[in-house]
Amino acid sequence: MALSGMRGLSVFISDIRNCHNKEQERLRVDKELGNIRTRFKNEKGLSPYEKKKYVWKMLYIYMLGYDVDFGHMETISLISAPKYPEKQVGYIVTSCLLNETNDFLRMVINTVRNDIIGRNETFQCLALTMVGNIGGKEFSESLAPDVQKLLISSSCRPVVRKKAALCLLRLYRRNTDVLNIDGWSDRMAQLLDERDLGVLTSVMSLFVSLVSNNAEAYWNCLPKCVRILERMARNQDIPQEYTYYGIPSPWLQVKTMRALQYFPTIEDPSARRALFEVLQRILMGTDVVKNVNKNNASHAVLFEALALVMHLDAEKEMMSQCVALLGKFIAVREPNIRYLGLENMSRMLLVTDVQDIIKRHQAQIIISLKDPDISIRRRALDLLYGMCDVTNAKEIVEELLQYLNTAEFAMREELSLKAAILAEKFAPDLSWYVDVILQLIDKAGDFVSDDIWYRVVQFVTNNEDLQPYAAAKAREYLDKPALHETMVKVSAYLLGEYGHLLSQRPGCSPKELFAIINDKLPTVSTSTVAILLSTYAKILMHTQPPDVGLQKQILTIFKKYESYIDVEIQQRAVEYFELSRKGAALADVLAEMPKFPERESALLKKAEDAEVDTAEQSAIKLRSQQQTSNALVVTDHPPVNGVPASNHLTLVKMPSQNIAEESNVTYEEPPVETPKENGTPVKVESKVDIIPETNIESKVEPPTSQPASQADLLADLLGPLAIEGPPAAVEQNPVQGLEANQSPVGDLALATLEDQSNSVQPIVNVEEKFHILCSKDSGVLYEDPHIQIGLKAEWRAHHGRLVLFLGNKNTSSLVSVRALILPPSHLKMEPSSVPDTIPPRAQVQIPLEVVNLRASRDVAVIDFSYTFGTVLANAKLRLPVVLNKFLQPITLSPEEFFPQWKALNVQPLKVQEVVKGVKPLPLPEIASLFMSLHLAATPGLDNNPNNLVACTTFFSETTRAMLCLVRVETDPQDRTQLRLTVASGDQYLTFELKEFIKEHLIDIPRVQASSPPVPVQPQLPPAAPATYNDPGAMLAGLL
Amino acid sequence: MCNFVDWHGYRVVYKRYASLYFCMCIDAGDNELETLQIIHHYVEILDRYFGNVCELDLIFNFHKAYFILDEVLIAGELQESNKKTVLRLVTTQDSLVEAAKEESSSLRSIIAQATK
Repeated sequence: MALSGMRGLSVFISDIRNCHNKEQERLRVDKELGNIRTRFKNEKGLSPYEKKKYVWKMLYIYMLGYDVDFGHMETISLISAPKYPEKQVGYIVTSCLLNETNDFLRMVINTVRNDIIGRNETFQCLALTMVGNIGGKEFSESLAPDVQKLLISSSCRPVVRKKAALCLLRLYRRNTDVLNIDGWSDRMAQLLDERDLGVLTSVMSLFVSLVSNNAEAYWNCLPKCVRILERMARNQDIPQEYTYYGIPSPWLQVKTMRALQYFPTIEDPSARRALFEVLQRILMGTDVVKNVNKNNASHAVLFEALALVMHLDAEKEMMSQCVALLGKFIAVREPNIRYLGLENMSRMLLVTDVQDIIKRHQAQIIISLKDPDISIRRRALDLLYGMCDVTNAKEIVEELLQYLNTAEFAMREELSLKAAILAEKFAPDLSWYVDVILQLIDKAGDFVSDDIWYRVVQFVTNNEDLQPYAAAKAREYLDKPALHETMVKVSAYLLGEYGHLLSQRPGCSPKELFAIINDKLPTVSTSTVAILLSTYAKILMHTQPPDVGLQKQILTIFKKYESYIDVEIQQRAVEYFELSRKGAALADVLAEMPKFPERESALLKKAEDAEVDTAEQSAIKLRSQQQTSNALVVTDHPPVNGVPASNHLTLVKMPSQNIAEESNVTYEEPPVETPKENGTPVKVESKVDIIPETNIESKVEPPTSQPASQADLLADLLGPLAIEGPPAAVEQNPVQGLEANQSPVGDLALATLEDQSNSVQPIVNVEEKFHILCSKDSGVLYEDPHIQIGLKAEWRAHHGRLVLFLGNKNTSSLVSVRALILPPSHLKMEPSSVPDTIPPRAQVQIPLEVVNLRASRDVAVIDFSYTFGTVLANAKLRLPVVLNKFLQPITLSPEEFFPQWKALNVQPLKVQEVVKGVKPLPLPEIASLFMSLHLAATPGLDNNPNNLVACTTFFSETTRAMLCLVRVETDPQDRTQLRLTVASGDQYLTFELKEFIKEHLIDIPRVQASSPPVPVQPQLPPAAPATYNDPGAMLAGLL
Repeated sequence: MCNFVDWHGYRVVYKRYASLYFCMCIDAGDNELETLQIIHHYVEILDRYFGNVCELDLIFNFHKAYFILDEVLIAGELQESNKKTVLRLVTTQDSLVEAAKEESSSLRSIIAQATK
């Protein structure tokens, strides 16, 4: 089947195939695109045959993944051709190259409509196919009535009607108003009587879409669907050509059953009986056979039947029959069927009463967890997660832990999160839970998020019985030679709090505990050092009677960290050092952490936030409604740390923003240090004397209304100092003798209050990030303690698509988020809306379409603001939509270059300037600087080794593609000056490009370099705009 | 290996024929096996049309492949499950193209003769 004589196309395809590498291919494609462009420029001389040929070539190039941003007009114009061959090409290529947003499509609506309502059947087919493939609002508005007429017309042949049905479906998806429901339900019922199975298949697709939107309106069609299904299942009156591997059109069967699933229920007893009979026949009559295709087809029907049975909530007997079938499937050889068996079992979990039957297959599901196919393993994991409850949790979680050893990295995080959740939810006893989490951290520390270990700490804190056990376990792990840092954190924390409970055991004296923990100190990161320091302080406090040697060791460490670069650690070191010299005060301050109030598991929330498919999600919900193990419920303890009268200590937290952020807290309660927000002002009075060595008196009045639940508990946990003690005690017995140098209480409390009124400062160098993004297309644009803004950009000729990623780093929402884009006059920017709130730890994307109208060095600015707690943050950020984004480097041969260079030898089109004060760079570095600006330095064009010539193409809406030529002549004696010549077919472009290159060559401070307003161009005479036949424009045509 | 891959909240159903992969992207709730058989149905039609289809047939006749696809699928939905019908339509259209070509060449020869 040769390409019916289209030799040029075959030759081109062969050429492409013969290219040895991508680069050669690109060159060949560029050459061809240039050729096509030239030919299209002079359209008169183009025969229909040639036009067709070039349009096919364009499609081929587009298929290879290259941008084809011209020739759309020529393609579309083929649609209007009178003859079939041209029309066909026009329609097919248009539906491949263009999408519904393309403005050109408007121009052919009339032609398309004429083809649809015309008498020529082949033209009708072409038009319907294209409209069905492109869809779109405008087509939908102007063509839907005509398409409808074709579908219900009795004079049209099936070939037209089936296309009309699917075309209408596409238009309906875009705009449901195209069909008037009242009239349509009767028509639909008639259409379902269709005898031609091709038309019926298409009509059924349309019907599925209609009922999914509004099942109520189509009750009258329900019996018809059942009848169609009956006919298919019994293989009555089905033409041979419509059976597929012996099965009566599996597609039609699947679609019909899909449609039935949109009806809430089937009440009519006879229809219901008939349907169940059919379903029974499908369930029982399907076997796994040798032929893969037959298998796939019959099981496509079978799985749809299963879904329908589940939807209809059949009798238990039928359900258990289904589960039995699925049980069979998950053990077969055919991987597709194993996969679907597991997936459908997950869906089955939603049906009540079958969990027990599913559990019988647990062993087989666990085997699937080791399947060679990752898709199947994932399904198995989801299913195990969904089916886990108190009775099988131990077994399943232990399997998951074992699997963790061999699981691929891509799955480990999900796996460990799921194991942690199951262990928490269904733990038969608490020590088992602790074992599981510690094992988890040990085996897959990198994949265990902080939430997991915070959670175990909460449980241990809240359950006294558990404390010695957990501490002993932690101690055991510390003996292991290689330990994950998370394990160091959790062990150190547990031993600091509860290590003293073990003091009678061998190897657990304070001294030994300290020694073994301190072994890890040199290798851990800053956040862990902070925890270790707290642990040391606690060990010190628990050492009774005091051990002078140990004290000395620990104090030395505190002393050493007093000048540490990290402020948090420095502060802890200073405070602990001072406190540890206070004796009794130390015991008060470092008393055991109070119990945490009961709260929803952060892990569970995380899992729900994570992208999980709906079946799984609802399975989780269902499970959690149905059964909860009370093994871990600790609600019988009142939230003790909120009640001042109780014998427990009141807690005032040292605000510690840094730590809270470092440790990825996932609780939503606003931290206590935002008093305005929770309405319980923390009054802090402090007298700070400037003279050192003076005592401070500080009175801290704890919040009374709802303090404990408001407190950011994790920050409590890790906070450098938890001053505990009933307020009265503080007053009567003020903490005497705190050296005033650091005055931790007063200073800090005040500092936080101040912080709130201050604006948020970025933690990255915004200027630098902007400049990096000028030459790169993705990266961070801005970051402060609350938010990170990332940017990703794609450029196509003069179009650009930016996506801003706003990531909330906090555990509470950022509100009143605004992002106002201020585009300069040369850019057309269409931002999409910005959500008002960014939920905790969520990321929102703001796509942004950019069109470059002309050359300019102005920069777009985004005025960005949000509120966090009481803090209003505002930043004006420049968007890296700069000139070079619209440049595409191009390499010219001398034969191409010189004529252009000469042709542009006119003053405003070619300008020359001696630039002084240039960064002294060797020529190759200038070349690479140019490359980063998308100017391709082309060797061999200038024989002088001190010169450099570069070429590029500039894209904008006014100039379209325009060639730009740049020449740099350097002086080897004086590298700080050079002569720059820039030429292009547009004087403004020439000027802007020259200035742009200059900015990058001259070593001036960045801020200055990028001051937005463009200076008036003195040397540019207000010449008439470049006329159409100037050399530059002609050159653009050549490219 | 099964023929399904989860991808960005969608599911990719693919099938490999020699060195060619045919892929379709569907919603997570769609019927995977049905989709897989659409792929096979299409390939079977290609096979009949080209007669033992191979990679090169598709590369050099990519436009035919598109054209046949348009007879099998519209708006992502199966249009016709009868292979004979599809093939008949495709060959009819082929003959339309051929006829137009002959017509123009005969016209050309008439003009050529007339101008002699």
